[in-house]
Amino acid sequence: MQQPNRLRPFFENISFDRKDNEMVINFGPQHPSAHGQLRLILHLQQEQITKAHPDIGYLHRGMEKMAENMIYNEFMPTTDRMDYIASSSNNYGFALAVEKLIGLQVPRRAKVIRMMLLEINRLMSHLFWLATTALDIGAMTVFLYAFREREYLMDIIEDYCGARLTHSSIRIGGVPLDIPDNFIHDLKAFLDKFPQDLKDYEDLLDSNRIWKMRMENVGVISKEMAQSWGCSGVMLRASGVNWDIRKEEPYELYDEIEFDVPVSEKGDNYARYKLYMAEMRETSKILYQTIKMYEGTVKENQTELMAHAPQYISAPKIDIMTQNYSLMQHFVLVTQGMRPPVGEVYIATESPKGELGFYINSQGGPYPYRLKVRAPSFWHTGILTDLLPGSMIPDVVSIIGTTNIVFGEVDR
Amino acid sequence: MAQHQVNYTQDGGLPVALTSVDKVINWGRSNSLWAMTYGLACCGIEMMASGASRYDFDRFGTIFRASPRQSDLMIVAGTLTKKHAEFIKRLYDQMAEPRWVISMGSCANTGGMFNTYATVQGVDRIIPVDLYLPGCAPRPETLQYAVMMLQKKIRAEKAGRAQRPKRLV
Amino acid sequence: MRKYVPKDDVQKKAYYTDRFWVAPQVAKSPVETDAVFAADLEAIKAKCEVLDAYIQVDQLVVLINPNDNFTVAQILKEECGYNQLSECSAIDWLAKQKQFEVFYQFLSMSKRKRMRVKCFIDKEQAVESLNPLYRSADWAEREMYDMFGVKVNNHPYMKRILMPDDWVGHPLLKTYPLQGDEAASWYEVDRIYGKEARDIIGPENRESAVVDRYDTERFGRLGHEVARGSEFDENQPVTPLAYQEEGGVFIVKKFQEDGAVTITDRKR
Ligand code: SF4
Repeated sequence: MQQPNRLRPFFENISFDRKDNEMVINFGPQHPSAHGQLRLILHLQQEQITKAHPDIGYLHRGMEKMAENMIYNEFMPTTDRMDYIASSSNNYGFALAVEKLIGLQVPRRAKVIRMMLLEINRLMSHLFWLATTALDIGAMTVFLYAFREREYLMDIIEDYCGARLTHSSIRIGGVPLDIPDNFIHDLKAFLDKFPQDLKDYEDLLDSNRIWKMRMENVGVISKEMAQSWGCSGVMLRASGVNWDIRKEEPYELYDEIEFDVPVSEKGDNYARYKLYMAEMRETSKILYQTIKMYEGTVKENQTELMAHAPQYISAPKIDIMTQNYSLMQHFVLVTQGMRPPVGEVYIATESPKGELGFYINSQGGPYPYRLKVRAPSFWHTGILTDLLPGSMIPDVVSIIGTTNIVFGEVDR
Repeated sequence: MAQHQVNYTQDGGLPVALTSVDKVINWGRSNSLWAMTYGLACCGIEMMASGASRYDFDRFGTIFRASPRQSDLMIVAGTLTKKHAEFIKRLYDQMAEPRWVISMGSCANTGGMFNTYATVQGVDRIIPVDLYLPGCAPRPETLQYAVMMLQKKIRAEKAGRAQRPKRLV
Repeated sequence: MRKYVPKDDVQKKAYYTDRFWVAPQVAKSPVETDAVFAADLEAIKAKCEVLDAYIQVDQLVVLINPNDNFTVAQILKEECGYNQLSECSAIDWLAKQKQFEVFYQFLSMSKRKRMRVKCFIDKEQAVESLNPLYRSADWAEREMYDMFGVKVNNHPYMKRILMPDDWVGHPLLKTYPLQGDEAASWYEVDRIYGKEARDIIGPENRESAVVDRYDTERFGRLGHEVARGSEFDENQPVTPLAYQEEGGVFIVKKFQEDGAVTITDRKR
């Protein structure tokens, strides 16, 4: 410990070591551009980083432990708080894992609605990413623009489930509600306007010298490094690996949908930014197609929203209100919870951040025996250990920005 | 020629002027509440949204600052974990008086849904809180309302005196 | 009256019993049904002992001896093309068989297949680190150590990752209470104010009744505002919910409700 006096004041975050000129600085955990509660211990040689130790756990809330003490349906709202920028994708990942465990078939209409929600969430998440990263790098205007569009999307989601941020919009076995009347209209209105908005952002950023200088050839991740660190999503695709779980292991109706997976070979920040923009375009393409699919289900009069499995899933509300047996079933399912078969399952879905996997070990009881969340951001934070050494201090902010980490998910 | 001479320093001093000074100071304080960015979890996103385009916090004179030394208001938005607790205390101590704290969201108020080993059950165990804002996550409108209520509270305070010691639950 | 049964430890025992209920099993199919997985299993069998292998929910599950974990991972990476370790963690079976289960979840992008390797270790036994093969094992194993206390050999930086360094206990053990043990519940108080402050601050109070509405010294209630320190009974005075006090605010203009415009057009 330093002895502070008037000539040598005490700096709590900096320690000087005269001999080899190495400086250790502490970044976070409450840093405005750390995207949450990331703490980095950085060893510096002048401006250059020689060693980086990300320190996480400042948002560890014990969700996996909570899951072991909750019935399956009870855990659904908790998944919202994991990746809180795109809650529905977490809801979906968990619901899908439980459905695979008990072997449920979800009705087509519910699948379409789920896809709509997932893709809207992806847009929200990417817009949020763009806004915050641009803000970190200094482009305040983009922040304001991107938040404006995000608010429209939040309105649409709010029309569906009543919440802006923590949606809980997906249930095990389907979706709770049909989409409201004005939903399609609003979504279409948004999607028609959206390409122009994207162009606005690109006009502001693409030819911006500062933006390019801070993004191009900064934070280059090689293909091997990305694979070895378990990267997924855009982080992986920017390094030249064409891997999108929606394409490779299609779930829901993604195999019926036409979309491209943008890939880049460069692996730097700029490539990731470009991929996010390209993905937003693809997502709006998907959304147009889901609207068509939804109209198809309306035409064919497929009104089922929840799977039919009385052992696991409550009957529709109208049955519960009118039929005694359904009411009893509902009562048992709510008070004691469903009891899935004994077994284990690991299911991965493509969340906006990357591969979101749920591992569930069920022992036939109403509570999962073990639930492990494989959150993409956890590994995207881990890679900072290898990625930051060699870069300059100002690059830290832009690298953390493009890794798109969310701390609810990293620490769980 | 004045018939009575008022000795301002002895007669309890400038009654009218003092209230006005109070008012002026409180007006200044309440309408330029610079908030510290203390987004801890999901509520932090709503806090950002209230600072962004649609909700536009700047109208209330609330500008987000990244440094505790420049801010009067700490909006604790999100879950405070035990690992983080010492930092919130340190940052609170670094803020200059007068300072206020809004605890935003159920997690900051009482621990919320996270009744677990890792979560502090309410930030008021660590730092004194002026305003509790319920909700999970509270909408930006609610945060704006909270700030307006805080402004009201500040206007009712005496400006001249140092702040009274605040309560810790 | 019915006998009271404590319901706080739901993990150990459900408070209701269902005598006639037999838990069904998630279907397991033999490995031969999938040619790709069969080849992978052969590759592993050539070098290591396989205790059990089956396919469950489209994924191959292989049970091996804990000492073989590095060799198996090496085979999987170099011969079978499993290029990502997507997850690694443990399960606590101490109550049942005094063992931990450690599982590794692999992904092969070239074959589009996922598989899981499991092994059972004793309480004090350590596993070999997969860090030289997959960098992602670095953090996963640290988390496993933090949550379960499973030690990992040859790990570059074996340290707690999620919990603070001076934390007591390993939270995901089944014996660790959800609400935390003694050390956990006082952690932040001890850390910031010191152990002496425990008496002053008091234990964690999770009841909302801590807010006492008659205590006007410490609390104020919106819509029922009274002067600080004054007393009142149940008939709390009702004060209007308003942004501004009666009589307006110095310099600030008063909000006129009838002059307000409601915006319906989203575009604006
Ligand atoms: S109150 Fe709810 S939304 Fe806010 S931080 Fe806690 S869990 Fe997240």
